[in-house]
Parts: sequence; C-alpha cells; structure tokens
Amino acid sequence: MVIDLDRCTGCEACVVACHAENNIATVGEDQAARARAMHWIRVERYYEGEFPNVKTKFMPVPCQQCGAAPCEPVCPTFASYHTIEGLNGQVYNRCIGTRYCANACPYNTRFFNFYNPVWDKPLDLQLNPDVSVRSEGIMEKCTFCVQRIKAGEVQAAAEKRLVKDGEIQPACVQSCPTQAMVFGDLSDPESEASRLARSNRATRLLDELGTFPKVTYLQRGSWHDNENA
Amino acid sequence: MERRDFLKISALSGAAAALDACGNPEHQLIRFIPEEDLTPGIATWKPSVCTLCPAGCGMLVRVMQGDAEVVRKGQLGLLKMGLAKKLEGNPAHPVNEGKLCPRGQAGLQVTYHPDRIRTPLVRSGPRGSGQFKEVTWDEATKQLAGQLSALASGKQQDRLAMVVPPLRGVKKSLLGAFAAALKAPAPVEFAFLDGGVVAAADAASFGPAEPPTADLGHSNYVLSFGADFLGTWNSPVAQSLAYGRMRAGRPGKRGKLVHFEPRISLTAGNADEWIPCRPGTEGALALSLCHVILRDKLAPAADAGHAGTLIEGWAQGLPDFDPEKAEQQTGVPAATIVRIAHEAATHQPAVALAGDSATAHTSGLFNALAVNALNALLGSAGKPGGILFTPAWTPSLGKTAEKSQAGGTLPALVKRIQSGPDAVKALLLFGANPVFAAPAAMQVREALEKVPFIASFGSFIDETSILADVILPDHSPLESWLDDAPVSGTARTVAKVAAPAMEPVHNTRGTPDVLLDVAHQLGGEAATALPWKSYDEALKAAFAPLQHEKGSVSATDPDEFWSKVREQGGWWSAEEKSLPVGGGKGSGVAATAAAPAFDGGADAYAFHLLPFATQMQYDGSLAHLPWMQEAPDPLSTVMWGSWVELNPATAKKLGIEQGNLVEVASQHGSVRAPALLAPGIAPDVVAMPVGQGHESFTRYASERGANPIAILAPMTVTGTDALAWAATRVKVARVGEGKIILFGARLHEMPEDVKHR
Amino acid sequence: MTTKTPEQINEDLLRPLEGTSPRYLAALTFFVLVVLAGAAAFLHQVYAGLGVTGLNRPVFWGFYITDFVFWIGLSHAGTLISAILRLSNATWRRPVTRCAEVITVFALSIGAMFPVVHLGRPWLAFWLFPYPSERGIWPNIRSPLLWDFFAINTYLLGSVTFLVLPILPDMALVRDRTTGWKKKLYHVLSLGWTGTPRQWSRLEMAMRIMAVAVIPVAVSVHSIVSWDFAMAPVPGWHSTIFAPYFVCGAIFSGIAALIIAMALLRKFLHLEDYLLRIHFENLGKLLLVMSLLWFYFVFAERLTTWYGNGSSEMAVFWPTQSGSYAPLFWAMVVCNFVIPFPILAIKKLRTIAGTVVASIGVVIGMWLERFLIIVPSLSHKYLPYSYGSYRPSFTEIIITVATFAGLAMLYMLFSKIIPIISVWELKAGEVTETATAPALARPEQVRAD
Repeated sequence: MVIDLDRCTGCEACVVACHAENNIATVGEDQAARARAMHWIRVERYYEGEFPNVKTKFMPVPCQQCGAAPCEPVCPTFASYHTIEGLNGQVYNRCIGTRYCANACPYNTRFFNFYNPVWDKPLDLQLNPDVSVRSEGIMEKCTFCVQRIKAGEVQAAAEKRLVKDGEIQPACVQSCPTQAMVFGDLSDPESEASRLARSNRATRLLDELGTFPKVTYLQRGSWHDNENA
Repeated sequence: MERRDFLKISALSGAAAALDACGNPEHQLIRFIPEEDLTPGIATWKPSVCTLCPAGCGMLVRVMQGDAEVVRKGQLGLLKMGLAKKLEGNPAHPVNEGKLCPRGQAGLQVTYHPDRIRTPLVRSGPRGSGQFKEVTWDEATKQLAGQLSALASGKQQDRLAMVVPPLRGVKKSLLGAFAAALKAPAPVEFAFLDGGVVAAADAASFGPAEPPTADLGHSNYVLSFGADFLGTWNSPVAQSLAYGRMRAGRPGKRGKLVHFEPRISLTAGNADEWIPCRPGTEGALALSLCHVILRDKLAPAADAGHAGTLIEGWAQGLPDFDPEKAEQQTGVPAATIVRIAHEAATHQPAVALAGDSATAHTSGLFNALAVNALNALLGSAGKPGGILFTPAWTPSLGKTAEKSQAGGTLPALVKRIQSGPDAVKALLLFGANPVFAAPAAMQVREALEKVPFIASFGSFIDETSILADVILPDHSPLESWLDDAPVSGTARTVAKVAAPAMEPVHNTRGTPDVLLDVAHQLGGEAATALPWKSYDEALKAAFAPLQHEKGSVSATDPDEFWSKVREQGGWWSAEEKSLPVGGGKGSGVAATAAAPAFDGGADAYAFHLLPFATQMQYDGSLAHLPWMQEAPDPLSTVMWGSWVELNPATAKKLGIEQGNLVEVASQHGSVRAPALLAPGIAPDVVAMPVGQGHESFTRYASERGANPIAILAPMTVTGTDALAWAATRVKVARVGEGKIILFGARLHEMPEDVKHR
Repeated sequence: MTTKTPEQINEDLLRPLEGTSPRYLAALTFFVLVVLAGAAAFLHQVYAGLGVTGLNRPVFWGFYITDFVFWIGLSHAGTLISAILRLSNATWRRPVTRCAEVITVFALSIGAMFPVVHLGRPWLAFWLFPYPSERGIWPNIRSPLLWDFFAINTYLLGSVTFLVLPILPDMALVRDRTTGWKKKLYHVLSLGWTGTPRQWSRLEMAMRIMAVAVIPVAVSVHSIVSWDFAMAPVPGWHSTIFAPYFVCGAIFSGIAALIIAMALLRKFLHLEDYLLRIHFENLGKLLLVMSLLWFYFVFAERLTTWYGNGSSEMAVFWPTQSGSYAPLFWAMVVCNFVIPFPILAIKKLRTIAGTVVASIGVVIGMWLERFLIIVPSLSHKYLPYSYGSYRPSFTEIIITVATFAGLAMLYMLFSKIIPIISVWELKAGEVTETATAPALARPEQVRAD
C-alpha cells in the first residue's frame, strides 16, 4: 500500500470505511475515555510550531503489514502469523489474549477486545457477513481487507486470469476521497503501488526498526519544490 | 460419517432445536417467507443517493441476504431479506467518482439505528414530554388528513406551515406541488449550514444563483477564505478529489493552497500556508489582494467585469484597501498580502473560494462578493482551473408545481406564528430540526409550542419532532425512492434517482407516498394536482423529458430509459459545460460594508465565538450515529463530546487547563464544555463545534456536549436573510474540572524519527 | 547454639507443628479472606472481561505483568541462594535454607499464575502447553512467552524437588514422634525414609546434583522473563543489559524477602535461638552487594539511554526522570539504594531490625522497578499520537494484594505442617561443626545474639 501524504487531508473517510467493512465495534463513551476505542486505521495529527506559524500534518496509520513483523514471533499460539502473501495475519480463534503482539508492535495498530462487542439491535444487521465478529479477550487488527483480497483472487481464478492491478481495493483505499491511497502487489514491479513505492518521495514509517513495513508513505511535497523544478 | 455431513445434520437439527427450545420468548420467532430472491453470501450493488448533506453524492449500496427481526402485520418474526451492508461511492457518478466521505458512509447506521421511530406515533403525554403511543398508519394518516381538510373547509389553508430541510429535485417539486394544491404557503426551508449567502453573491456577481464548483484539479493556486472545502463545505468529496489532483495528480506540477481563517480547520490544516485573519475581514483581505494586483498591474481592472464593478472604488484601484490599511483591519502583515497577491496573479489558473465563517458574518455577503471580484480579476470565473457553475437540473411536475413559490424564512415563520392566536394552525415537519439548529434567541421552540397541531415525518425524535402531535415516520434513505439534482461538484447536469436499496426494516412509509395518499384522501383539487399513485410514478414522469437530452443513458422507449436510469443511479449530461458567467444582476456594494458588526461589546465579551461544523457530526444532524460519535475529530481527536477550542496563551491567561470545564457566555445565554488547547486558533477567538448538545436525539447523542448555536445572537448577514452565525462575541471562564475524551495524545510534535515526512 | 541438645532442637523446631494458637488462626483467617477476595475479583474479571482492569491501548500490560515479574524475581530468594550457600558450604546457611526454598516454591507458583490471570481468554491458557492437540498446531517456540513456560516450569519442578528432598528425614522424624492420623500422614509424606546410610548418601548426592543444576536454571528463568521485554522493539525494553539486570534485581528482591520472612518466623515461632543476628547480618551483607550491583545496573542503563539520546528512547526516559513517572522512579531509588545502603553499610545499623527495614524498602522498590520497566515504555511507544497512560483498577489492586496475602497464607500453612527449619541439617551442623564459626563471621559474633 502506498499513502500519499501530499494528498491525504485527514478526512477519516478511511476510518469509517474500515469500521463498516470490518465489523469494528464502537466501544462507547466510557470505554473510549479509557483509551480502548478501536480504529484499525487512524489518522494521526501532528502540530508543529506556535500561533500563528502552525503547521498541521496528517498521517493515516493502518497496520504496516511488516515484512519482519515484531508482532509475529512473540505470539505463543501462532494467532499472529505471516501469510504466504506477506500479510500479518491474525487468527482470532487461536488468540488467547496475551496482548504481547500489541506491545511488540511499534505502530500501535493492534487492538484488544476488552469486552464483548455490542451492537444495539438492529445495528447488528449492518454486520458484514464476510468478516468474523471478534469476541472479548482477543486482539484484532487491520487485515488489508483480506476478505476483499480473497474475493478478488477467487473471482480472477474463476475467470481464469490473473488479478489485475488496482482490481482489489481495501475499504480504506476504495473510500479515499483524495485518492491518497493506492493498493497493489508489491512483488509485481509493474504495479502502480510498486511504481509509487520507488518514488523519490517514498519513505517508510519507523523504517529504522528493521520491520520492513509494506506501507510506503509519499512525503509531502512543497510548493517551492515545484517552483525550483 | 463424514465430518461435513455431521455438521450439516447438527446444524439443521440444532437450528430447529435452538428455535424451539429457547425459553426466551424473544427467540420464538416466526420465519416469514423471504420476499427477495437473493443468493446467500453473494453481494449485489445497488445505486443510491446520499442525502446527508447538500453535496448529493452518488452511492452504491452493498446488499446481502440476512436474517432481520422485523414486525410484519403486527407480528414479530425473522425475515430473510436483502440488507444494506456497506455504502460506497458510485464510480460512475460525476460528482464523487466512487468516493464517499465518512458521514456518507455512516448513513448505513441511519437505517439500522436502534432508536429509529418504528411505527406511527401519536402524542400521549404533555407536549415535549416525549410520551407517544403507537398507532396504525390508517389512524395516523386519517388524523393528518382530518386536520388538513378542517383547514380547507374553514378556508384557512394559509394557516398551514411546512418546514423542510433545503430540498432539490423532484422531492422539492412534489412538496411544492403539495403545498400549492392545498393552497398553503410554500414550505419554509431551513438548515444551519446553507449556501444561501454564497449563492446570492454568485447571482449578483456572475448570474447563476448557486454555489460554485471549484475546478481545483486544474488550479495552480487556491485561495480559500474560510471555506472548509475539504471538510464540510459545499461538495466536500468532489472538492477533495479535485484537491488530490491539484496536489499530486499532475506530474511536475503542484498547486498551492492558502487558507485564511482565524482557526485551523481541516482545510487550513492541509494548506501550504494558513494565514489567520481577524474574524469577518476576509472580504477586505480579498480586496487588498485585488488592490495589489491592480496597483502592480498584474491584471487590468476591466478583467473583473461585472463582479468587479459591483465593488465601490474598483475603478479607482480600491484605494481603501491598500495592504497597510488592510493589515490594520485584518491583522495579516502587509508584506504577506503583497506576496500572496503576486503569487496568485502569476500562477494562474488561480481560484478563490469563500464560505463557512467568512460568509457568516454580518459582512458575509460583502466578503463573498469581494472574493468573487478577486476570482474575476484572476480570470478564473467560468474557466478551467477556476470556478464553474453547474447547469443544475430543475425537474418539472406539471403546472401545479410551477405555481409553488419560495417559502419564507424561519424567522418570518416564527413571527407569523407569534402574530396572533392560531395564526398557524397546523405545521408539518419534514426532518428539519430548527429547535436545535436555530439560536435560542429566535424562539423557535416557544413559537412551535403555540401551534395547535404539528405532524412530523422524521425518523427520529429530536428537539423539534418531540413537540409533534403525530409522527408519520419516513423510510430511511436506503429504503426510499430517492432523487437529487446536485448544484455543485460537477460541470455536468446531473439528475439522480435510486430505487429503494432494501425493504423497510420497520413499519414506516415513504413521506412522498404519504403525501400523495393524503392528497387523494382530501380529494378535489389536491387529488387532481397530484395524480400519481406513488412517488416512483412521479419520478418517472419527471425524468421522462431527459430521454431526449444527450446524456449518459440512451434508450428508445420511456420504459427502457427509466430502467436504465435506475440501473445507473441517474442521468447526467454527456459533456461538461459550465453555466455562462457574466449575467450578474447585483448593484454596487459600498466599501464600508466591509466592516463586520458583532453582538456583544468587546469589553464585556472579549472573544469572538466561532462555531464550526465538524467532520463527523456535520451540523448536528449526524450526532446520533455511533460511528460518527466514535470517529475522532481529525484535528482535536475528540470522541463522544464537544469542546471549547482555545489558544494555549489565552487559556493560560484565563487560568484554564486542558480538559477544564469552561463556560462560554454570550448576551443570549451560556453553554459549558471542556477546554481544548490548540495552537491553531487566534488568541481572541474561541471555537466550538456544532453538532453536539442535543437535548433529545437518540441514546447516542442526547445530553452530550454543548450546542453553541443556542447562544448565538439572531443577527443576519447584511443584505440577506441568512443567520450571521459567526458574529457573536462571548466571554469565557473556567467553572471547574471537566472531562474530554481524546483519541490522540495532544499537542505532541512529530518525533524526530518521522518528522521529515 | 552449642548448648542445644538434639532433643531440644526437636522440641523447639517441631513445636509449631503440634498446636495452633488463636492468634495464628485469626491471622490465617484474615489472609484466607484476602485471598478469597482476590479469587472473587479474578472470577469477576473472567466473567466480565479484561475491561475491568485499567489496561488500555497502548498500555496493554500493567499490574499483572508487574506482579508476574516481581514474584518470579522474589522466587530467586530461595533455591538459588540456598544452592549457592550449599555449594560454598556456608555453614550458617543451615537454619536459613528451607525457609528460603519455601519462598521460592510459593512465590514462583504465585508468579506463574499471573500470565494466566492477565490473559484475555484465560480458559484457553492450556493452548500454551506443547501437547499434541486436535488443533494440530504446536505453540510457537519463537515466542518468549513459551520460553517462560518452559523456564518457569523447570524452575518450579527443580525448586520443589530441591525443597522436598531434604524434608524427607524431617518428615520421618515427625512420623516417629506422633501418633494416630498424623502418624499415618507423615508416614506417607516421608516417602519411606528410614535413615539408612544408603538413603543418607543418596540424599547427599541428590542435593549436590540439584544444587549445581538449579543455579543455571534460576539464572535462566529471570533472563527469560527479562527477554519477554527485551525481545520486543519497544523503547526502554530493547536492551542487552536486561537479562543480567533482571537476574540481579531478582536476587536482590529475593534476599530482601528472605530476610523479612526469617524475621517474622523468628518472632512468631520463637526461633530466636536458631535464627541469629549473624544470619541477618550475613544476608544483609549479601543484600548490600546486590543493592550496589542494582544501582550499578540502573546507572549503566540510564546513562547509556541518556547518552544515546535517541528520540524514542528519550521519550520514555524523561517521563521517568522528571515527568509523570518521576515520583515513582525516585521513590524506587530511595527504597532500593538510599535507604538500604547506609543501613547495610554501617555495621551498627546492620541489626535484625535494620536489615528488615532495608528489606522492606527493597521489596517495595523492586516492585516499583518492575512497574517502571513496563508501564512508561508502553505508554510512550514511538508515535506520540498514541501515547497513553495507565491507572490500575480496583480489581488489579485487590488481586495484587491478595497474592501477598496468598504468600503469607501458604507460608503459615506450610510452617504448620513441615518444620520451617531443617531439623536434621541443624543437628548435623551441631555434630560436625561444633564451635566452627560460620564462614563469614568472626567467632565472637556467633554468640553475640
């Protein structure tokens, strides 16, 4: 996945899209006040400087689907594991809730179900049947909408063809109003995501930790770069 | 036995056993015969229309089969039905091209909201107590028809009033036709955020009376005066798409965004330069930019055409607005003004937008006219990369509908109600919530309490509909026939229509159908003026003329056309063609109008109150959706509440710390909310989000946060009827400890490791 | 000591087994009630969900893991110290070893409970165990938590063996001195000990092997516990110093716990003639060494962090030095160094009361240290947007308190069933080493108390 910070406006369409797609529960006021809100993707906001010279920066942070994910080796039950396609999978059924993976994750993109999720009836009718609902005591996280990836692959296989670049979009990418997010196969050098990931604006979050994140951020441009070019 | 077989058998017998054996009566459900032929597990995507804000985005609804607990003919049971599971943008739609903002996506929760009104209600307790009893649709419509026919027989049809949110398309025509057929005054349109001032300014400067479509995707320089166009203003998704293209869609070219506002909004946060200016002086700032452009001969005065000549002193080069004087008035350094003027003039196409607080001061219309003049001077009016005007679709429902005129304003309605006993005998509410969204000083509640009969068609019991005597709940948008005609976000003519994406979950009825039903019950002229059996017939009739226009659907016969239009989610014109600019009808505006007036003396009320619509709750109409409560505000990161935004220096002076409960008091009342210290706000301004502070609006929004609208002064934008909601001054004091729920840690700078991003 | 005959030793040391005082029963009842309260709190947590704790995002570990590390650390009191003392043939160890080893077994059991207590789904804790299951999947051997499982189990089994072996002769002694059902009970507990030379020599041999084997196990246990943290790329955790730092802290808190336990036993079981000032003094010296070592480790760890000046590391560093966690940090330094150092370094202050005061400080300080390792790091992990904080809930506090009561309860019960001082070893000391001074003390000191 590539996220262009020059396009991202921090509107959080991705956040709500993720809730809708992945059956993420709202925890309510009390639990939110206890820092237990679950947002698989969040938009981090940073201020720099003081009035009137204030700069605001937005940065959406989903699970970085690290190539060398700190969350994976620490899980004693293989609940968090590396899929063949290179995703950091989370098998909810295997999870016993040590929360070790969440501590090991440098990006804080893992979320714990402190209680059983509640959907006041009939809000439960909104639940996506393609995504399991998680119970109390287990970790959950961004999956890059694995159900959409699988559906795309099954569709392509049924049509006896390869998956087309851009055909599969996680919910966040699909919703992004500024088209700041691009999803694609990084092992295919020709994909749009691979092309953007080679951009000279490309950086990776906390790259120095050696986690090999698979989310590439394209740095903000500056108008003056444009002027000098 | 194979494991799979065993599972099958146990699933079959288990399900039966579970249904039979459960002692809990809730589980003894009857299974209704499925109404739809859906394949389990296979999603179908149905086109729909987002109705949550005036942008009018096209949606696709993901519908899948599921078991819903529903009441049918008075009996609770399980029904296998198509259920909307997710809302996404419709990729084919010219406005939003497959994208959807967070609010639009949360529209799903309107349908499944646990506190939606499930069946018609009649008031059973004193008015405002919230006590209602359930009745059948027959009883409810009979009551309504009875009231209306009583008015008709007493020749008192002028004593009927209707309050609606701003409407467009066939629905507007239908309501107008309904009012006209009853010989009643036209519906009063009301919303806290309405684009009326901008539309009025555009009509005066350029001709088209509608908000502009900013073609940011082709702009090199964007000047935004208060308009939160990436957040809530006008057509945010279309504008965000264009903004993305402006920033990174053209290799080697990157546009610049400069935002003028006293506070960092979502748009200001994304600007290359955020320049705080004194509240209400945006017009002076725009004219000062014009002054520099004219002075330094970057463009001739005549380029601005009519939009320029509207401004007094234009021909003389705007002597009142030289940068030094402007610095005094706006607080923006003269050097900055000169620099921005030069940058904008030399990096065309450049575009300027005015909106939100800039147009909600008493000087709002002047500000919008000044920005229009700047646009005209920059040569961006009606040009690619500038502002375009949508050739909006205006459907016709025949002669009766033509007769309907614009309704009065809400203040006029309040005055009418209070002009004497029974001046208004019956009032119909169509989802608008003026008790919440109008300042308390306008006394909407007091007025409504005097109306003997109020019927509400809303889906929720809110501050206004709680006063109703009878509630005839509408379908949710996803269960309804929908249509819309966007006036911004595209240069195409767009006529949207969508069939219901799903069966109704509750015992509700589409309001247009109820109106048609009532009209038929009344008989006579009303029945003949509204001949359609149901709303979709009216829609089909309204869409029929489009078959012969050049557009996205081609068909040979009306039925084929209608089915193709529904399949596509609407019809849009083949080519993008902005309305011509230059037909401005406005007359001269005195430069003295630039000075904003404020309610409350600067000594007693030291701060400007800047209310703002939030990314999640919008104007408060979405505060009842749990997703919108729990999604953190992008800037403050607040969840489940409201706040008072203060500059840290101001807070220090007042002895206020983050999270302290503070009281914000105007001459018209006071509200309390926790303090949020943010660097991006001028020291003499306090900002409060609009949207929370509902007294009664479902379990998720009631008694949560504070509503700053309540304490606003009932001032209007000079030259219009619009509320000048940014013109109130307030005082601020700490009253105790408070609680604020933040998702993100506050005021932290980016760590060194990631700072370079 | 020399004045005691073997009969007197029997009398004195077996007295606690023979009757219970009302005071004992009252204290035991109190501790049992507190333990029950803790159990109720845990059941409530299982029923309601981990939400009843103060844990949140990003502080996913709090009091429970603090308790876990603390109790595992405390368990290093016994078996490790006792093994070292046995191997170095420190004769003054004789009255000390058993009460030390008992601490190990109980503290370890309590500590080992916490990984289960803190689980999101504790009823599935057995999924950590490597057994061929219908799930067709083994636990992940790469996870330090699994290393914990093996290390703690090994240490627990070793410690229990190490404790039980030298108990057998004493069980036989009790068996021979009692009648009725008690005789039958101790007959079983003595596992057929008859005191033949063959049995004695085997016991000697077994103890020697166990003493050698248990030392590396003990060191590994707390190293592995430290790796629970050090293996994760979390600022403040990811450090090579952690293993020795943890082992040092463990022994440090273990000795302190032993001193406190011995002082209490001495007072309540009237063992003034057996637990002498010299024992406290010698243990005090050990504690002093550990205090200095601990201070050295803390200093080295802090200095390297500060000097390295990595932004993420410093984000954890400053809150502990001068920010919101500073009061706890400096309280820890006071408890672990400022109080014990002068008390233990100045000979006049190194009395029984002095060492006990120092030890109480150390136990508190070491608990704080565990807390300060876990919580500030988790609450300041890299991206500042997700910084957080932590406040324990009532449930966590009551469970923590209950574990202290649990140790007291188990200790009280144990001392009623089994002589808390090894009778035969003491007698053996009387016979073989009469008038030989304990290794670390001057002869005149032996009789000083």
